[in-house]
Amino acid sequence: MKHGLDFYANLDSPIHRWESRCKLIGLFSLIFAFSFVEQLSLLPGMIVVTLVYYYLSRLPFSFLRSRLRYPGFFLLAITLLLPFSVGSTVIVQIGILSLYQEGVVALALIATRFLSILTVSLILFGTAPFLSTVKAMRSLGLPAVLADMTLLTYRYIEQFGEDLTKMKRAMQLRGFRATRFSRRNLNVLASLVGSLLVRSYNQSQQVYQAMILRGYGYTLHHRKPPNPKNRVSGGDLISLGITVAIALGFVVAEILVERQS
Amino acid sequence: MRPQQQLVSNPDSAREPAIAVSDLSFSYPDRPEVLQGANLNIYPEERVGLIGPNGAGKTTLFLSICGILTPTSGDIGLFGNPVVVGEFRPEIGFVFQNPNDQLLLPSVWEDVAFGPQNMGMSEDEVNDRVQDALSLTGVETLAERVPHNLSGGEKCLVAIAGVLAMRPQLVLYDEPSANLDMRYRRRVINFLQTAQQTILISSHDLELIIEVCDRVLLLDEGRIIADGTPQQVMANESLMNAHGLEMPHSLRLHHQ
Repeated sequence: MKHGLDFYANLDSPIHRWESRCKLIGLFSLIFAFSFVEQLSLLPGMIVVTLVYYYLSRLPFSFLRSRLRYPGFFLLAITLLLPFSVGSTVIVQIGILSLYQEGVVALALIATRFLSILTVSLILFGTAPFLSTVKAMRSLGLPAVLADMTLLTYRYIEQFGEDLTKMKRAMQLRGFRATRFSRRNLNVLASLVGSLLVRSYNQSQQVYQAMILRGYGYTLHHRKPPNPKNRVSGGDLISLGITVAIALGFVVAEILVERQS
Repeated sequence: MRPQQQLVSNPDSAREPAIAVSDLSFSYPDRPEVLQGANLNIYPEERVGLIGPNGAGKTTLFLSICGILTPTSGDIGLFGNPVVVGEFRPEIGFVFQNPNDQLLLPSVWEDVAFGPQNMGMSEDEVNDRVQDALSLTGVETLAERVPHNLSGGEKCLVAIAGVLAMRPQLVLYDEPSANLDMRYRRRVINFLQTAQQTILISSHDLELIIEVCDRVLLLDEGRIIADGTPQQVMANESLMNAHGLEMPHSLRLHHQ
């Protein structure tokens, strides 16, 4: 059974104790700064900052590893494509394949940014109950409808995964093996996806009806953002200041290095 | 630990069991053991009911027997051969509690044909099996319907047909009467009463167990607590109460 994103929300660490809104602003500023970086020389700093924050969060490495499984497929795809298709400066010739310097550089840049941003996101969502994080977003101005959609998505995506597991088991118990690439197998897998989508849609209608019957929609326009119960301490603000300063540092460094080159 | 109560001597002990479970234990990650040294033998042509409170381990036991879950310890044998996790055994069928979990193809016919097609049968053989299975469950008229648009009772019978099309010798039913109205519940009971396979039914519907089964196993906290006829197990009020169950109404009236 897969754990939710906030399975380790009850640990104790400096990041866990960081007030939700400050943490949201600080870590999002880091994420935006990382996405701004284009210079190779800044990548080691990005990696160090990411690792330091992960260390401070006390989240187990197994958590990060388990969440990188599917994004890992994306990384694998670009690893196989970019170095052999992008650029003109050949580093190594392997038979008919040419390894290009520009492709390798692009791979390093994209992979490091991707992993760093993903890791910081996991720190953000893994160190507090998901509901608290969404409430913090609401108090910072996220529209109520988007907040509700986010919560419901989080709530039901795990059920979607469980439904998928059960259906796969049922197929396996009737002899289906997805190992062969055949038209029939593709049809069956397409039917599986279709069935899941139909079930999800039907369930979403029922969930919405249940919400309506308890006043949802009527109260939406009257709902004010929740008053955060946690007070912002001096320590929270200092941590926020440091994190935003680091983020700004990356942006400034990026601009300066780009100008020099 | 409460010792297992063997309330009836098993005359079939000379025959090879259809299911032989020995000291079976299983636990999910980060949770206490769901099955703790469960032992049971089910013999061919038996109709066995499995009862117990929520969380007793009934579905986990079924999934272990089918080779879906890997036990932490213990052995499971199916018709004399050990169960290998992940191996397809067409001689055993499993009808899920929620038929939506196993109906996935665009028409009833295709869904019932799914199992025989996976078994590599010819088109004629598949057609014969589908016809037989639909006929057995009385849902021939639904053959061209879309499974998602069926009623709950119809889905249940179609799901059963999909398993029967593989012609298993043993069928596990997980809560077959869950969410059914009286009419479809009666159809399922009538069907189970005449089923030719060895059956093992997990159910909270104790009246169904009384009508269909000639042997009952009480499972709680991952162990088989009692094993006997429905009257012997379910008419024992203190036993039932001690494990979160109640004596069925029909047996209570009989008792009085």
